[in-house]
Amino acid sequence: MDDNNKKNLVWMELTGCSGNIISLLNAYEPDFQYMLDQMINLIYDHSLLASEGEMAMDKLFGMLDQEYILAIEGAISTKNNGLYNVIGTWRGETITGLKAVQLLGEKATQVIAVGACASHGGVSAGAPNPSESVPVSTVLNRKVIKLPGCPCHPEWFLSTLAHLLLYGEPELDEEGRPVFLYGVTIHQRCERRSYFDSGVFAEKLGEPTCMFKLGCRGPVTPIDCPIRKWNDAVNWPVQSNTPCIGCAQFGFPDKMEPFVKYIQNKNQQAGGTV
Amino acid sequence: MSEKITINPVTRISGFLEIEVTVENHKVIDAKTKGRLFRGFELMLKGRDPLDAIYYSERICGICSTAHSLASSLALEKALNIIPTEQEQYLRDFMHGCEFIQNHIRHFYQFTVPDYIKMPQSYPLYQNRNYDYRLPKAKNDLIQKHYFESLEVSRHAHQMLAEFGGKAPHNHGVFVGGTTMQASADKVISVKSILFDMKKFIDEIMIPDAGTIAQYYGDYYDNGQGYGNLLSYGCFDYKDLGTLYLKPQIYIDGSIRELHTDRITEEIDYSWYTDQMDSYHPMETIPVDDQNKTGAYSWIKSSRLENRPFECGPLARQWLSGEYRNGISTMDRTVARVLEVKKITEILSTLLDNIVPGVNTQLEYEIPVSAAGAGLTDTTRGALGHWLKIDQSLLSFYQIITPSVWNLSSHGNDGFPGTAEKALIGTEIENEDNPVELGRVIRSFDPCVSCATHVIYGNKKSKTIQVVP
Repeated sequence: MDDNNKKNLVWMELTGCSGNIISLLNAYEPDFQYMLDQMINLIYDHSLLASEGEMAMDKLFGMLDQEYILAIEGAISTKNNGLYNVIGTWRGETITGLKAVQLLGEKATQVIAVGACASHGGVSAGAPNPSESVPVSTVLNRKVIKLPGCPCHPEWFLSTLAHLLLYGEPELDEEGRPVFLYGVTIHQRCERRSYFDSGVFAEKLGEPTCMFKLGCRGPVTPIDCPIRKWNDAVNWPVQSNTPCIGCAQFGFPDKMEPFVKYIQNKNQQAGGTV
Repeated sequence: MSEKITINPVTRISGFLEIEVTVENHKVIDAKTKGRLFRGFELMLKGRDPLDAIYYSERICGICSTAHSLASSLALEKALNIIPTEQEQYLRDFMHGCEFIQNHIRHFYQFTVPDYIKMPQSYPLYQNRNYDYRLPKAKNDLIQKHYFESLEVSRHAHQMLAEFGGKAPHNHGVFVGGTTMQASADKVISVKSILFDMKKFIDEIMIPDAGTIAQYYGDYYDNGQGYGNLLSYGCFDYKDLGTLYLKPQIYIDGSIRELHTDRITEEIDYSWYTDQMDSYHPMETIPVDDQNKTGAYSWIKSSRLENRPFECGPLARQWLSGEYRNGISTMDRTVARVLEVKKITEILSTLLDNIVPGVNTQLEYEIPVSAAGAGLTDTTRGALGHWLKIDQSLLSFYQIITPSVWNLSSHGNDGFPGTAEKALIGTEIENEDNPVELGRVIRSFDPCVSCATHVIYGNKKSKTIQVVP
């Protein structure tokens, strides 16, 4: 390893489920070890850091006078001045997620919001948003690269990171999402598209045809699941006979519900709308 | 003279936890475990379509999302009066078992190993000041190597899960009625081949690694005992196949006894919540968050059974099922977790051998106007319960008590410490400036604070609002 030639990466887990770092560990080609050895110096991640307590905080805030890319998973809880998410104690001070993002977010060379919660609030900000969670972009006055998804696919993060390292910042859409990942909807590339085109619709989960009438959000969700697939590319939600629930689209989960639409489906049929 | 020691954050766990202990003469005499993350899933779930609870509630936790999808499905099945066939349970439980394997391998290598093995200091991520690394270099470096090799194995456990669940974390395949995906020869043989390699890794690498660590850190069999009360909701228990793991049961005061789920309560005197009652049954009420409450110190409430604190998780299951009864301690917890991985792979093989391909029992579900249901199952970290009510065909109440609420609970209303707090008390601390012992004790419980602190909602204004329908 040659630390001097690699950029630093700080990964912060905030108000969320830590599912994005777990997802990242599922990476292959490149895998997690390749990322550590060849791509970046991973300085901080709560789930993996060997040190703990004050020394962990020293490591995090020791980056303030260095260059680093900041990846954030989880939303920013703002209730009670951020005290609903305390990430540590540093020099006698209680450090909230809110404070850490404000301190580290301003100085990072790039900020990447990894997953739904960091990108747009996600499940953590689901109505009635008890922790008053907001996306990273709300508390930082700067450009944020957003990788929505619940969780973020390891390759969405690693390919964005690779783009930064190899070619600079990828082209982003108006919402801050890399176009090379989020440019085409699931519906456009869905393996069950022919069923949609010929009007063959599943009436319940577990069937092999188009799940549009069960509430599939593929038509409104721009992401590459149908061609990338998940977990060593063995499967993805539609292939497992369930609708896309729009987890990679802004507004998830509230605007994507109901995830499975039996009642409404019936009403629609009764009203002759389908 | 006593001294207060704080560790914040406790890293290598899921979620945010602070430990505060009082040490006197190199010994912990008092301990508090403080959950430092709050989201409030219980109010978020209220008003949603009941079937959405599965995919919504699994997002409580990125580590054990399958467990939540299962508990939620079980609770909904009770409410909807759906009884899945045993076949459907096999495939669903297979997915759940994959999560056990994935979680345990990650917990052992990524979360536990750096406590006992000096990781390569050339990586900034692994630099630390732990002075108490005892293995000879060759043995240390071998386990260090396995730390990285294990990532491929745990990744494959998620791959097996995704074969039937669509993706992991946050699967789609676990649902009311069983699963959405049917078994087929291509998928079954694929997961069988993965499982075959996995068993070799567990037998030849993981179990010996745990043995090596236990050999050099034998004193950790003498700390972290806790109360010794054990609890399991049971798992992998069938009519046709019999009990592949264990039935619901508890161990208390030296004997194994029946579990009475109606005796489960939560207490909130020492956590940041208020309600008209400070002790309640799961279906009774959802307290509201109140961070200004005097005497409270954690977002983690205090779950109790028969007014007593309990430990749950792999060691509890291994003890209750009679598979492992060496002792109850820090190291026993770690060893039991590793041995349980082997047990789970055997259970998964049995399930695979009994799965019939091509069975789809999914129905077009009708949501009742009014109903209630509870879903209780043992999962990776122990006893998980979801309790829900449906009113006007929407969720009107949702209560979740996770394994980490049992293990990381705050003091009970009687002032007695929670399970992990009790386990910390009595721990000998060699160097108060670098108390490496505390993290080792606490990590043996595999805390998941994301799970433990997600669950309650409210604000001061809403105190007068009746949350329960």
